[in-house]
Amino acid sequence: METTPTRNENGTSGSTRRNILGAGALMGTLGLLTACTTPPGGSTAGGGSGGGGGGGAEGSAEFTDAVKKLVNGRTLQVGFTPPVLSEYYTQMENAAFTRMAQLEDLYGVQWKWEKSSPTGNFNAVEQQISTVQTWTSRKFDIVFICTGANFATMQGVYKNAMDAGTSIFQFNQPVELYPIDQINTVSNIGYDNRWQSGYVAGKFIADTLKGKGKIVQIMGPSGSDWTKARLIGFNQAMAENPGIEVVGTADGGYLRDKGLSAAQDLLTRHRDINAIYGENEDMALGASQAVDAAGLKQWDGSEGIVIVGADGLLSGMEAIRNGKLTASVDVNSVDNAIRMIDTAFQSVVLKNYVPKISNITTHLVTKDNVDAHAAYINGIMDPAKKY
Amino acid sequence: MSSFLNTPSLGYRVEGLLAKPGSGLVALLVLFIIAMTFVAPSFLSFGNWENIANQAVFVLLLALGMTIVLIARGIDLSVGSVMGLSAGVAAFLINQGLIFPLALLAGIGCGLICGLLNALMITKLGLPDFVATLAMLGVARGVLFLWTEGTPFTRYMTPEYRLVGGQVKLGGIITIPIIVAVVLCILVSLMLRKSLIGRHLYAVGGSPDAARLSGISVSAVKTFAYVVSGGCAGLAGVILAGRATNVAPTLGTGYEILAITAAIIGGAALTGGQGRMVGAILGALTITLIANAMNIAGVTSEWQQVVTGIILLLAILLDRITAYFKKRQTSAEIEQSPQQEPTPATAPRRAIS
Repeated sequence: METTPTRNENGTSGSTRRNILGAGALMGTLGLLTACTTPPGGSTAGGGSGGGGGGGAEGSAEFTDAVKKLVNGRTLQVGFTPPVLSEYYTQMENAAFTRMAQLEDLYGVQWKWEKSSPTGNFNAVEQQISTVQTWTSRKFDIVFICTGANFATMQGVYKNAMDAGTSIFQFNQPVELYPIDQINTVSNIGYDNRWQSGYVAGKFIADTLKGKGKIVQIMGPSGSDWTKARLIGFNQAMAENPGIEVVGTADGGYLRDKGLSAAQDLLTRHRDINAIYGENEDMALGASQAVDAAGLKQWDGSEGIVIVGADGLLSGMEAIRNGKLTASVDVNSVDNAIRMIDTAFQSVVLKNYVPKISNITTHLVTKDNVDAHAAYINGIMDPAKKY
Repeated sequence: MSSFLNTPSLGYRVEGLLAKPGSGLVALLVLFIIAMTFVAPSFLSFGNWENIANQAVFVLLLALGMTIVLIARGIDLSVGSVMGLSAGVAAFLINQGLIFPLALLAGIGCGLICGLLNALMITKLGLPDFVATLAMLGVARGVLFLWTEGTPFTRYMTPEYRLVGGQVKLGGIITIPIIVAVVLCILVSLMLRKSLIGRHLYAVGGSPDAARLSGISVSAVKTFAYVVSGGCAGLAGVILAGRATNVAPTLGTGYEILAITAAIIGGAALTGGQGRMVGAILGALTITLIANAMNIAGVTSEWQQVVTGIILLLAILLDRITAYFKKRQTSAEIEQSPQQEPTPATAPRRAIS
């Protein structure tokens, strides 16, 4: 069972190491395509030998044939339900298709893929509960879910599904907020929002401002688990940097226009701020517009307002490149999806015991490294096969 | 209201002021603004009022259309989705190389068509207004989701669109969204007060049967109301696309509730036959002002929801008090001059008679 990463592992000093691992993951993926030998555990990002990988020394002919026999041309009926349709989940879906096509090539596993997402706002969760129930009654093999629904409610839904033979895997879910023994899923693939997202953003701001300055925060909908978890990490970074003061917070509803309005309101009272933390990239980009509209200067490397978001979207990376966003915590849509597919394949087809919590790496993207991270995502945006 | 010759007492005049529709709401807003200046003096700054005006435009445009629909005893639940879809049409067409003004017109056209479809469902298929527009809410949003495939439309912003979206002030003085809103308010006000269609709207909303008997085409009036509402949503959508700089499939979600709330705060009734343009402005301003003030005051978002709810409730209650004073005034006037016909309590009654 994987343990929660320590804070120190997620400081800026660790980013270089993760970049290398990220690159390694890409190499591993390419290696699979050409069926050459990659070291065990090297096939997925972050050295995830537990949850990742198709099952060991991928690439050797003997292993491939043996796994092929185990798979026996089986078709997996899969349901994918993100909390909202967005750029992040589109990136994830493309990465999942890329990995599914690789596993199909290698081991002959067939996939049937269905996607369903609430079409209302982020909190329209009832639709997801009935989606899981419908998929369970249709005898789906695997359900991948990320939801804004209440934790306890969902555990009941998951238990019924698992009892009926449908394996539930959560992705991108802030499970770190709950006791592990109360989570009724096979596995939870994601990252620790506290130390791999909120803390990273807070520390970056503090380091950039050299430990002194004023911040405003634009946060997600009140009560959201992501918001809660990220704030724990962000507040820890603030506690370690007493010279940094959070002077205002507003709800930006994870939306750009709401983030823009919220930032405008905060800037009315606090024109002398040094940084804005947007809990996601869309809100951070809204804040970026507000800073421009107020005639204030954005961070140019030595002065101006530092604006940090989190997501790792191609559009966000373009904004970083254009100087409209100082930095963003890329919570790694690509590895999230690859690890998700691998874990499900290992668990459902190979009957392996997979870790309950399987965390991928996250990256702090700045102008200096944006090209590498954007290229990593672009590498999966055109999957060999769509399901 | 009261005649000069009667030299009414001060108390009577205060009552007269209180009897004016929306006066309770204005009083509440004034008190709120005074309170806010103590919390944060920057609240009164010109820049902040500019922000409030620019933020209120979207709810206001939708609330204008909603008020017209509510007057005609309808309700339009689809405005948020139609707003998103119209924004998508404009952004997509700009990316396809269509010239900017045509793309904007196409976006507004999309809103008009959605409004027309709503009207046809209601007048031709006989669907209840609530059901027809609820269906449109789902369909328009669904189409935008399918079309964008979950990834927002981006890269359509041009210098002209920044101007239309209100990111840059026209001549450095005022933003285009504010100009558009002011012009539309004047047009709607004239239409409601001076035109035949305005009187017909109140007549149909006041009593559809009576309107039909007096030769008014209820279908035509309702169609007009929904097309205007759709057009307002389309207009709000293309402007919002210029403000948000991307069209996410969720763009405009939840705006229908804000629009209905604004219209109702402003005195429109779900039972039809009532509503004024000024009411829509006050309603939109109230909603935006509260959100702005609480962000500035540093009220947490959990408490913001509670406070917003209470203030909205207060606004409606004050409206009731206004109605009470109005009733007292009317009866006082009847007593003073029995021969004189009392001022009609509401416009629709006048329209029907």
